[in-house]
Amino acid sequence: MKKQLIELKVNGESHELAVEPQRTLLEVLREDLGLTGAKEACGTGECGACTVLINGKPILSCLTLAIEAQGKEITTIEGLAKGAELHPLQKAFIRYGAIQCGYCTSGMILNAKSILDENPKPSREEILKGLEGNLCRCTGYNKILEAIMAVSIGEE
Amino acid sequence: MEELSFVGKSVPRKDGMEKATGRALYTVDMVLPGMLWGKILRSPYPHAKILNIDTSRAQRLPGVKAVITGKDTLGIKHGFVETPRYPPDQYPLAMDRVRYIGEEVAAVAAIDEYIAEEALSLIKVDYEELPAVFDPEEAMRPDAPEIHPSHPKVREPYKNIGGKTETGWGDIEKGFAESYLVREDRFEGQLRTHCYMEPQATLASYDLSGRLNVWTSSQGPFIKRAKLATTLGLPFSNVRVLKAYVGGAYGGKIDLFSHEFCASLLSIKTGRPVKIVWTRQEVFEASRHGQPIIVELKTGVKKDGTLLAQQVKVINNAGAYRGSGVVVIFLCWGFVMLSYRIPNLKYEGYSVYTNNPVRAPQRGHGAPNLRFAVDSQMDMIAEELGIDPVEIRLKNARQKGEILPNGDYVRNCGLVECIERAAEETQFKEKYAKGKRQEGQRIRRGIGMGVSSYFSGSLIYPNASAAMVKLNDDGTVSLLTGALDIGQGAETILSQIVAEELGVSMEDIRVVAADTETTPVDIGSWISGGAYVSGNAVKMAASDARRQLFEVAAKELEANPEDLIAKNREIYVKGSPGRSLSFAQAVAASIAKRRGNPIIGQGHYRTMKDVPMHPSLATTKGRWSDNYAFDAQVAEVEVDTWTGQVKLLKATTAHDCGFPINPLLVEGQIDGQVSMAQGHALWEEVLMEKGKTLTTSFLDYKIPCAKDMVESHYIDVITEKYEKDIPYRTKEVGEGYVSGMVAAIANAVYNATGVRVKTLPIYPEKILKGLKEKKDGGK
Repeated sequence: MKKQLIELKVNGESHELAVEPQRTLLEVLREDLGLTGAKEACGTGECGACTVLINGKPILSCLTLAIEAQGKEITTIEGLAKGAELHPLQKAFIRYGAIQCGYCTSGMILNAKSILDENPKPSREEILKGLEGNLCRCTGYNKILEAIMAVSIGEE
Repeated sequence: MEELSFVGKSVPRKDGMEKATGRALYTVDMVLPGMLWGKILRSPYPHAKILNIDTSRAQRLPGVKAVITGKDTLGIKHGFVETPRYPPDQYPLAMDRVRYIGEEVAAVAAIDEYIAEEALSLIKVDYEELPAVFDPEEAMRPDAPEIHPSHPKVREPYKNIGGKTETGWGDIEKGFAESYLVREDRFEGQLRTHCYMEPQATLASYDLSGRLNVWTSSQGPFIKRAKLATTLGLPFSNVRVLKAYVGGAYGGKIDLFSHEFCASLLSIKTGRPVKIVWTRQEVFEASRHGQPIIVELKTGVKKDGTLLAQQVKVINNAGAYRGSGVVVIFLCWGFVMLSYRIPNLKYEGYSVYTNNPVRAPQRGHGAPNLRFAVDSQMDMIAEELGIDPVEIRLKNARQKGEILPNGDYVRNCGLVECIERAAEETQFKEKYAKGKRQEGQRIRRGIGMGVSSYFSGSLIYPNASAAMVKLNDDGTVSLLTGALDIGQGAETILSQIVAEELGVSMEDIRVVAADTETTPVDIGSWISGGAYVSGNAVKMAASDARRQLFEVAAKELEANPEDLIAKNREIYVKGSPGRSLSFAQAVAASIAKRRGNPIIGQGHYRTMKDVPMHPSLATTKGRWSDNYAFDAQVAEVEVDTWTGQVKLLKATTAHDCGFPINPLLVEGQIDGQVSMAQGHALWEEVLMEKGKTLTTSFLDYKIPCAKDMVESHYIDVITEKYEKDIPYRTKEVGEGYVSGMVAAIANAVYNATGVRVKTLPIYPEKILKGLKEKKDGGK
């Protein structure tokens, strides 16, 4: 298919790109912009590993076309830390052992951010419900929950 | 005893920063200039002859750079096991026959994925279909279609026998004759799959000097190098397997896979890097899954519950090639005899070829299904005898100091304490008694126990680990280890050991890992020997470096080397902390005094160092491991008797892992295994029909999600210790805890409902059927 010229705003920076309209946001982020933090684990919207934030809301970038994301604020895991200063969720994930293989981590942290942005003091159940679409095979989710709870009460 | 600063502490993982920021590079993320994309053509038939393959149209498609079939290979077979009894039986690309749906028939390299995909559709393969068989017991019948000839050393008139393990001791008939109660039951484990989040992926790059570089999502580079070099006909030294982060493996990425061979051969053919990444559907349909086993179990006990005799028959549906099927029937013997003392045993295990995808180890490698059988039956026996489930386990539990029937010595064993403490902390006896008195209630609670034991490293290639510790000019330390961190935290615990031995901090240590060219050999992250074997190799290397450094520091401080202590980046004289120099100063002094000869510590460790080789897979004779971990696990469930739905509310794991090098990482291993056991016991099953996979996505194959999170409790039973300079005997924590929990869940379901489910998973309809039968039977 013929390429289209689009502009994507990712982590505060604008990028002008020529992309085929059928390409997903995930492909363009990973292959054209070198932002490989978002991962593909299923490609069909079941696992959440490709989660990124669009205007602050989590979306599945494997089911989103790059051309649909024009004019919106896209945040990937690479845009979360401020320089060397990690986001509290990133710190907590490390400190509480919420990361093992790390393949689901980017999506998990971004989704956790949107949960806390919407409701800074969620209950255990609200967090688990919010993370339902992000699969993790290593941790059993226990330490992930601990890390998010810790951030919600102001610990890092 | 000297206080420890790093070992035994919950140090955050070393790769946490890279993983939390999305910077960690996995094989799927790797890109090289000029890289091509590879795709694999798979067999649509479960069993067929390949009459002809025409690749000419695919080759003519613009953008296609190479197409390979079996004819382009050397026709060298490989296998998970390669021994005289069990020679390799699988070609990396099919030659004249395919034996399962999804078997690799041809591969293409093209300038992008779409063209590669299109090229596959242009390859014309003429097949002649052959009769196929899918069920292992049907495949054993003399009139079944022959997939491979039965193993020549198996004397029974069974067909399709890939391997057999036969062993025993005592007098089984006498044991049964003297028994007060003899029970016979049949249990079936289901076909499950790993669900590693990173799909199978490989990037191979052949350079013009004749060297092949390979990044692949794996569980250790050395076994990959050996099998790639052998099948490609290259010297080992021409194949370099390098580290990439691994997005989960759980047993599913150990030995050679066809795509690794194909990416390599396509790179050799084209002179360009070639990358192959599987789709999730491919992983479900064609990758190696776990081992479904059938366990026929006959057990005799005294009136007081003491085990007298056990007769075990295990049948493994091994799939189309030998895979790890012949290992699982060996291991199942071990998982029978480790946890409980059995004075008389007869064991036979069959690994049976069927026209299904090949099997791989999956976390626990047979133990979860085997312990499900043994510990379910243990509860059935206890009930018949009117004994408490805790008491019957305590009566039969292994104890410290016992010699196992194969000659292994149980140097340390906390199983009795695990059982006692798990029971105490969960108020097991009270809850168990309550569980039986809920007739008439819709929602019922139940509690159940399972125990398990697991080996910690054995002798399978590459058998041993070595390590190097380099002291750098600025006082930092480089650790060179062949170990691969697959998420379990290998690099973190190995760094903790270096930090402890040298008295430097975690940030001072840089790890160079898992590269067959620059790092020493390593046992691999797939035989539960990482913390024990690689850990001791690293300990020896760090201690060697410290010894060399102390020789220099002793002269500087005018003291004896044996009086020195390294701690907090300082080296000081015991008893007079004022006489000290910094670690960096000592390293600087060593460069000056040793005239530029840098300090490089070397270490090596092999489990059972005086034993020449692995135990016999056929007879179980020979040493297996010198370090066994034990655990007792308790599950607390809630069952809705109207819907049959089971909720695992709480899991308690009391475990003897020797001592935890990093308690936080140990907890993570336990949580992950509890979660896998939950999926195993309740939901997960790869459904197949005539060799075709029906569950091809995460929507069809249900793994636990966040809403299913189980409250997880841990009880450490410490039986070993860590002391400087001498090897330690910590045990595995990565596989045993999935195994006790499956049985514990099944026993808890029985406690709640009175329904005994002997085939996994415990689907709601099985519980409803059981409840109905109980009701009808009661009338």
